Amino acid sequence: MIPVPAWVRETFDSYLVCEFTTVKSGKPVTLPLLPFYLPDSGKFVVTSSILFSKKAENVRQNPKVSLLFSNPEGSKAGKHAVLVQGMAHADDSDLDHGWEKYLGYWRKKEPYIDAYLAEREKFGWFWKRIVVQVEPKKILAWKNGDTSRSPEVFGA
Amino acid sequence: MRKLDYHRLGNFRYAVITLVGEDGYPFSVSTDFKILPDKKIVLQKPAQPSKLDGKRVNVLFNHITGLPGGGYGDRRYMLVWGTTHEDNGSLSFEPDTMSEWDEKILPFDQYCAKSAPQGAKYLGRLQASVEA
Repeated sequence: MIPVPAWVRETFDSYLVCEFTTVKSGKPVTLPLLPFYLPDSGKFVVTSSILFSKKAENVRQNPKVSLLFSNPEGSKAGKHAVLVQGMAHADDSDLDHGWEKYLGYWRKKEPYIDAYLAEREKFGWFWKRIVVQVEPKKILAWKNGDTSRSPEVFGA
Repeated sequence: MRKLDYHRLGNFRYAVITLVGEDGYPFSVSTDFKILPDKKIVLQKPAQPSKLDGKRVNVLFNHITGLPGGGYGDRRYMLVWGTTHEDNGSLSFEPDTMSEWDEKILPFDQYCAKSAPQGAKYLGRLQASVEA
């Protein structure tokens, strides 16, 4: 687990979206995703519906990924930019229920998720979800989001 | 390339530049941007990566609006691949391909329906690997 300052942990906990990048044939593919930070292990989890599964397929080809936390919209945290580079593992062994253990994290960031879950049958394939877990290898953090300066580096 | 709508692009507040570093990891950094009258996209040069001239990158423009009760809506993004060029301290971005989603243009349920072939393909591959 890479030790980071409190403001970095707060960013991980409270930012609603991150910019998640996989690599396909040497080319980056960056998409906004809902991230979950697991404080006990320092790992991150994103989940992906099979409808939007290309990112999971990319992870299988190349496990090197990154998560950038740069958008404080909808959170009470300050504006920072924190980049996590790590190794990802995609788990599709239980598409129907494997992701449910992260519902508590999901509910915290999207309190209305239970209303969608109540209509689970309507969005059947949306709820077939791959769990992508990321183990950080290096974290770069720009306090106050000023990327014109060099970042603080953790875990290098 | 799918046509880049510069008017809608101009409504985003900031950009995220991503390239694949020499260590093989993606490197993303947020920065400001502006669109000049001649539709040239100019990015504020970040401190890192230090060399961005002639680099193949993608630039993500993403937007959400936080909701009073928690969560977010008004989701939209444009993901544009292209090349960055450094010139006297400024960083221009020459786009070539893009993909995007705007839930006001393609509502989420329709987006899911449109993506059904990808889901079917995934399940098909999974089934084949189980049977193998």
